[in-house]
Amino acid sequence: MIAVQTVLTRLLTHPVFILAMIVALFFGAAWLTPGTVAILGFLMLNIMLAQSMNLLTGIAGQISLGHAGFYGMGAYASGILMKTAGLPFIVTVPAAGLIGALTGWLLSIPAGRVREFYLAMMTLAFGLIFREIVREWDDLTGGAVGLSGVPSTTLRTLKVLGFSLDALDYFRLVLVVTAIVMWLVHNFIQSHYGRAFYAIHASEVAAGCLGIPRGGTKRMAYTLAAGMAGLAGGLYAHMIGYLGPESFDLARSIEVLVTTVVGGLGSMAGQILSAIVFTFLPEKLQVFAQYQFIVYGLILAFSLILLPRGLAGLLLLPPRFIRPASLRQATADGVAIRPVEPGTGAGLSVDHVTMRFGGLTAVDDVSLELRPGRITALIGPNGSGKSTLVNVISGIYRPAAGTVRFFGEAITGLRDDAIASAGLLRTFQDPRLVPRFTVRENLLLGAHRRYRTGLVSAALSLPAAAREEATFLSTVDAVTKMAGIADVADRPLESLPYGYRRLVEVGRALLAEPRAILLDEPAAGLSEAEMALLARLIRAMKDAGLMVLLIEHHMDFVAELVDDVVVLDSGRVIYHGDIQGMRRSPAVIEAYLGTPETAHA
Amino acid sequence: MEDFLTLLLAGVSVGAVYGLIAIGLNLTFWTTKTMNFGQGSVMMLCAMLTATMVAGGWPQALSILVALAVIAVLMVFTETWTVRPALKIEGSMGWAVSTLGVGIVLQGLASLWFGSQALAFPDIIFTAIDNVVVFGVHVSLQYLAVLVLALALVVVFEALVRGTVWGQAMRAVSMDQDLAAVIGIPVRWIVLGSYIASGLLAGISGILVAQIGGTVDPAFGFELVIFGFVAAVLGGMGSTTGALAGGIAAGVLQQMVGGYISSAAQHGIAFALLILILVVRPQGFFGQREFVKV
Amino acid sequence: MAIARRSVIMAGIATTLAATGRRARAADTIKIGFTTALTGPFNEFGEGYKRGIELAIEKLNKSGGVLGRQIEIAMMLDDQLIPDRAVQNMRRVLDNKEIVGLFCPSGSGPTLAVIDMVQADGRPTMNPQAQTPTVIYPGGPGTKPRPNVWTFSIQNDIEANFMAGILGKKFTRIGLMNESTGYGKTGGELVKSGIMKINKDAVVTHESYNQKDQDMTAQLVRVQRARSDVLMVIGLGADMAVIRKNMTRMNMTIPLYVSAGGFSPPYLEGVGDLAAGTRGSQFRKISTVPPAPEVAEFLNAYKAKHGTDRLWGTDPNVPAPSMGGTVATGYDGMLVMADAWRRAGSTDPAATIKAMDATSGFKGVNCTYEFTPEKHHAIEVGDLTTYEYTKIDGKIALVQASL
Repeated sequence: MIAVQTVLTRLLTHPVFILAMIVALFFGAAWLTPGTVAILGFLMLNIMLAQSMNLLTGIAGQISLGHAGFYGMGAYASGILMKTAGLPFIVTVPAAGLIGALTGWLLSIPAGRVREFYLAMMTLAFGLIFREIVREWDDLTGGAVGLSGVPSTTLRTLKVLGFSLDALDYFRLVLVVTAIVMWLVHNFIQSHYGRAFYAIHASEVAAGCLGIPRGGTKRMAYTLAAGMAGLAGGLYAHMIGYLGPESFDLARSIEVLVTTVVGGLGSMAGQILSAIVFTFLPEKLQVFAQYQFIVYGLILAFSLILLPRGLAGLLLLPPRFIRPASLRQATADGVAIRPVEPGTGAGLSVDHVTMRFGGLTAVDDVSLELRPGRITALIGPNGSGKSTLVNVISGIYRPAAGTVRFFGEAITGLRDDAIASAGLLRTFQDPRLVPRFTVRENLLLGAHRRYRTGLVSAALSLPAAAREEATFLSTVDAVTKMAGIADVADRPLESLPYGYRRLVEVGRALLAEPRAILLDEPAAGLSEAEMALLARLIRAMKDAGLMVLLIEHHMDFVAELVDDVVVLDSGRVIYHGDIQGMRRSPAVIEAYLGTPETAHA
Repeated sequence: MEDFLTLLLAGVSVGAVYGLIAIGLNLTFWTTKTMNFGQGSVMMLCAMLTATMVAGGWPQALSILVALAVIAVLMVFTETWTVRPALKIEGSMGWAVSTLGVGIVLQGLASLWFGSQALAFPDIIFTAIDNVVVFGVHVSLQYLAVLVLALALVVVFEALVRGTVWGQAMRAVSMDQDLAAVIGIPVRWIVLGSYIASGLLAGISGILVAQIGGTVDPAFGFELVIFGFVAAVLGGMGSTTGALAGGIAAGVLQQMVGGYISSAAQHGIAFALLILILVVRPQGFFGQREFVKV
Repeated sequence: MAIARRSVIMAGIATTLAATGRRARAADTIKIGFTTALTGPFNEFGEGYKRGIELAIEKLNKSGGVLGRQIEIAMMLDDQLIPDRAVQNMRRVLDNKEIVGLFCPSGSGPTLAVIDMVQADGRPTMNPQAQTPTVIYPGGPGTKPRPNVWTFSIQNDIEANFMAGILGKKFTRIGLMNESTGYGKTGGELVKSGIMKINKDAVVTHESYNQKDQDMTAQLVRVQRARSDVLMVIGLGADMAVIRKNMTRMNMTIPLYVSAGGFSPPYLEGVGDLAAGTRGSQFRKISTVPPAPEVAEFLNAYKAKHGTDRLWGTDPNVPAPSMGGTVATGYDGMLVMADAWRRAGSTDPAATIKAMDATSGFKGVNCTYEFTPEKHHAIEVGDLTTYEYTKIDGKIALVQASL
């Protein structure tokens, strides 16, 4: 099976094959019947819609139940602008994309505050309202009767740059546009933007703590996806020349979602296969006559049980998220941890921080300080407030009182991604990585805050973008070597044992070039050998001048490493000093009475 | 004034049914964070089966019970064969597609068995002519009956959730499935039960709405489920009171806008309200602000 | 056993021979093609018109075909009334260059989506069901028709004029409700302007609703508040049933007038006895007793093949007038086209179009067809009549009402 998948993947995703297909379709269309050309035209639009949904749902993990609305928005925009305002094709079709994008952006404004489910509802409502408006706004949209007479190839009324196009020319145009859009999306997905989308998908909190803004990223996903759907709509408008509200109803939105899911979320090649299936399926299903509706339903009901990862999962290897070209450019001289400038202020200081959940005070008036080049252990029994404190410092919780300063600047209440961007990184008690990414891709995610490549140069895959990516990939190599995970660098994370995930998560934080790093029980579940690797990493951080906060129950591990110890109990600091002093402190002994030292959370 | 009361009654009564549908959607959302996208077909099937059996001379009560029993079996099937396997595939949204698929299959079967045109739905308890005059206003008993039944169901449902062991167990499952399993709650049965209950609520809503409209066809229920969504989100996902309030709010608003402003805006307004609520207060009227667990 | 097997073999040979014979003739048949809603929620429209075409072809072929050739449905595709699918299907039909006669899809949406393509193609096309006037007259009624498309349905403007004529003369305060589809909205506006033309003082309260709405209280309250003396509804039968029941609940007793949908089975089944008193316009000729000979021939053929089913209606002796729209338009369309081929002496598009435009005095099921190069619709106000549901002997029956 793997062999078949490997061959198919090599073939179907090979640039030469893809180019050959495009060229064959471009010239071969002349020998096809107009009916086939018409269906192929629809296929191109369906591919574009499926990719748009894939970008949103498969990559960014957001759901749209109103894709037909974005598509319709583009179609009516281009149709009306050309028919009524007389604007040329070269203006109206890009405008369709822009209007779609704007709609997507507007709808996703609350993205930073709400979960994906609510955004899905938002798009559902938009899709429904769009159809109501189209149906009622007779003067603009032609209302329920529809908009006839949009310049199109049918009556040869469509002119592009002065040339009058027939159906064949127009198909070629749509083919080229689709191919270009696919290429851009492909580059985008394999850039740090695409990986950030996937990071948001896997864990919003973890993504935020790497400096990936969740609101902004989700908005970008909606904007781009809606823009693509709008563009497809703009092209659709001139294919038939008639626009009716029935073409943009909820059933159409669902069709797009179904195509994407069946194709295999996340896989671009899967989307194309699925679009082919669903474009030609209705025609093939006609042999089932009155049973075709039932057959269609059965396909939907059971396809995912038979093909859990869609057509792509059946036929192809999982997609990768780093451009091979950048991988080739990576060098062996990367430095795992660059020495940090000590900075002028007092590092990280927590002043009188209090955090309450309802009536429960989880962190009670805690103060502590981290200094560059020193490792501070934060210990305490379960429920003593250690993780809560880390959550407050890293911006996930907003404290009830107190301030956190980072090199003298108050960061209390800032968003998690802003704090991460300032160079304050953390790891989680339960590693939060992207399971479907390889180790290398996961590590590269850490570098997100350091990318300077813009959207355009990422999508066009300009040399500068590839160079930047290669630099970070060199660092990734160095980190994998230091962490002892170099031999599994190209394995998907989900296939690796637990211990590796811890090391990968610590490594990922290092890729962000942190000035301070908060490690939440990094040694939990590690083998002796892995613990030694972890200790080596932590010492290297100290040597490079990082501030390290280490939450850990494993006392032997802590004792070897730390410079300072802070002990929490019931949210209060009960000891602050060195490790020998801690062992003698009556308060600490009392708090731990009857609790073995090595107890795990 | 009479207009106002007529609109109000129709709005409250139709809205209460939206609320019932919303509670059905809520139930499975609590236990599994999934929703049956084919819920409209469940409503349709229940109403169609009832209509067919009554037309075939069966007693009404028996017909309704048989139809509901069929729905219960169907929901067991849906949960076991489409939702559960799909949930094993993380982050695939597979459940949306598979439940939708079941809905489409049901719609297809219904067209095959009953034809695609609307079937007449029998009058249950009251007919359209029955009404009482209250303060000189004609109040339709059909609306009243729908309203009373819907409200009674919500009360019974709420009492079950709050007062019984099963209700407690369901709440525990909705909080944290793993934890619930650890403390010995039969999560599997609770989830299955939530799907059955969700289907039964949908089936009853189908019968109630068909009462008002008078006909059912295979595509029946699709639009109503959308208003169920609106009600659920307005009230706050996961709140029973909220679902009812959201449904009634949507129902009344639709009637008032339709009656006093423009009937063309009747549907749009409900969706516009949905967007507004999502922007301003995504947790709905009654929902608690979600807290990110880290 | 042996005998059985031999008979199977014989039967096999016979079938093969018959098939070869048919294929030999097939090359020489006159081929038609169409796309329509054969499945999905609107399949009864497509099914009806398909039956009409089939009945007409059987009749023609039985009497030796046209120009000595048999007629054959070479392509029949299913679009489920989805415009995009209709476009793809129609393209495929047009790809078949052997096809010489086309039919439009059911419904205005899909028809408007394919009509430019069909016009550009130029082959003669019959429109059996779409009612929007722009299907035939792109510039609106009274303008130049598309040269190769003729309609056999009741055009919206004709139906509206008929209804406006009745309502405008009898009532001054008129409530008007239409479904929010192309058909409903055009119809509603045409009825309204028709009424205003007849009676300048008329007060028309115009409301719309969505198909499958389950409650119409809001619209009816507005009609009631305007103190309307009558309500006219344009839409599907199932929705009219909702409206009728809703009126009863609100104790609204004003007369109800309905468009063609009110004469389809869902309305009567949905409201039962409440249908009594509901009036509306429909094809006159098909339900006239006794039927004209051409109507009787059609009805007998239908009964023989399909029995008195749902499309036929509840009275086994007299078909529901709605059958004029579902089945007879396809039947008439096929026969008129065949007549044109006969008169043209060929199936060449240009000759057929010329002959179609010269159609005169052709007696069909719904009317006597007259086409000219300027007039591509046939059914006029005079081909419609008012029907009323009346209770006779405890049963609801549909009778042609005298005005």
